[in-house]
Amino acid sequence: MTAIMKRDLKGYFTSPLGYVFVAAYIIVMNATFYITSIMNASNGLTTVFNVMLYSLAIITPILTMRTFSEDYKQKTDQLLLTSPVSPSGIVLGKFFAAFLVFVFGLVLTIVYVIICQAFGKVNMASVIGNYVAILGVAAVYISIGVFISSLTENQLISAIATLAVFALLLILDLCYNLVNTAWIKAVLYWLSIYRRYNTFIMGVFSLADFVYYISVTAVFLFLTVRMLEKKRWS
Amino acid sequence: MIEVSGLTKTYGKKRGIDRISFTVNDGEIVGFLGPNGAGKSTTMNIITGYLSANSGAARISGLDVLENPVEAKRHIGYLPEQPPLYLDMTVEEYLSFIYDLKKVSGIKRSEHLDEVINLVGLTDQYKRLIRNLSKGYKQRVGMAQALVGNPDVLILDEPTVGLDPKQIIEIRNVIKGLGKDRTIILSTHILQEVSAICERVLVINNGQIVADDRPDNLSALITGDRKLTVRVAGPRESVRRILRGVEGVQYADATVQAEEGSYDFLVEARPNVDVRKPMFQALAQAGYPILQLKSMDLSLEDIFVKLVEAKRGNTAPRAKTPKKQETGKEEF
Repeated sequence: MTAIMKRDLKGYFTSPLGYVFVAAYIIVMNATFYITSIMNASNGLTTVFNVMLYSLAIITPILTMRTFSEDYKQKTDQLLLTSPVSPSGIVLGKFFAAFLVFVFGLVLTIVYVIICQAFGKVNMASVIGNYVAILGVAAVYISIGVFISSLTENQLISAIATLAVFALLLILDLCYNLVNTAWIKAVLYWLSIYRRYNTFIMGVFSLADFVYYISVTAVFLFLTVRMLEKKRWS
Repeated sequence: MIEVSGLTKTYGKKRGIDRISFTVNDGEIVGFLGPNGAGKSTTMNIITGYLSANSGAARISGLDVLENPVEAKRHIGYLPEQPPLYLDMTVEEYLSFIYDLKKVSGIKRSEHLDEVINLVGLTDQYKRLIRNLSKGYKQRVGMAQALVGNPDVLILDEPTVGLDPKQIIEIRNVIKGLGKDRTIILSTHILQEVSAICERVLVINNGQIVADDRPDNLSALITGDRKLTVRVAGPRESVRRILRGVEGVQYADATVQAEEGSYDFLVEARPNVDVRKPMFQALAQAGYPILQLKSMDLSLEDIFVKLVEAKRGNTAPRAKTPKKQETGKEEF
């Protein structure tokens, strides 16, 4: 697993992909921070975290689009699947490589907290809660992206399909406010990655919601393992 | 040791391979011979655990590939049809990754990788990006990858494809050298390759094993009746008459006019009769010199037709292997 993780991590930074991802992420976040915090001389990071959340939907596909697709195309999946590594080891290795690249981008945003802290008081508990929640949402998104990339050998299809799924999640989230029927609301709440994030934005660390993120991630990684195993029987 | 019993794999309604069984002993080099689509790659993919069979089992050194995949795969070095290369890595990085991936232990990384690249002749390309290597070198990197970790079983799917004639000879020698203390299966559709490297041949056609024998026995079987092409300088009609009059000739006819005043003749001798000497003398007496004489190479397709015929009607009985016969092997 670690061998695959290391190789994929290296792969992100020997191709433009890792740089494009980190650059895109940082440009969006810097702009947001500049507009909402610096120009307003505000100490609040709520908008920054909100943008951080919604931008995930657009940038995660960059990170995951070629995870398995590229391997299928170059036939290197044949190497991985015939080496003494279990399918779950392969999936976890690839997932953590993508996740670590994301963490790298995220770590760069800690600068905002330091700046705000230097000029005023930041609610540290809320900031940490927000970061943990962002990591949770990112894990969910990356696992969805990894799963979709295991379905196709075409990177472009992989990226667009992932974007479409994220867009759908966003629409479900918007629908939540539009319906009044209780049970539909309950179902939508259950499906909405974003809505669960609101508690974190408000500065409440909700363990239940965090566990929800971890579980969804586990489900998609499990599905990816099944996809790899299914390939053997095709 | 590789034990394969009753492997069957279907692709939808199409049968990929059909009840394939064989055993390869330690230190044996076995050639898989068959035309494209015969089921060579499918069989290899099943043995290495990349595909699963619908029924049957494959065991590597006693370990079932399906039940004990991680342990079994430790014993295998596999070169697939298309070498599985990460183009964005250098040869060095790639082989180092393979070293980690296979969890090699007990051998020092740098020494081991040096040994492997020396063996396949990649020393000068060690620091180069795989993307920039030629096809022949990529094939060698694939070969090197299979050798990392000194696996006792090597499965090589068409290892000499894409190499130039000099490299082909080099790689064949490498394989021969490796075969001294390893079990090797290699697939090919080139007849000469099998006789050059292998001690045993499994001929596979339409997903079934049609022959399991030593290469020399096999070639004796398939050249049971001899076909020759003879180029003779002389008038077409009279040469033909002379050729047909030769003792043991079953059939003779001119095919094409080769050079000015000479023709190529196709001569078919009766089984187990050597007609070359009487033919020479007859033509020499008549004053028509032989310009060229060669036996016709049988194409792979001809071989299959013959083997299948032999299997069905027993017209040309299969020569028995004097070597160890394993149980579980297909009998005809």
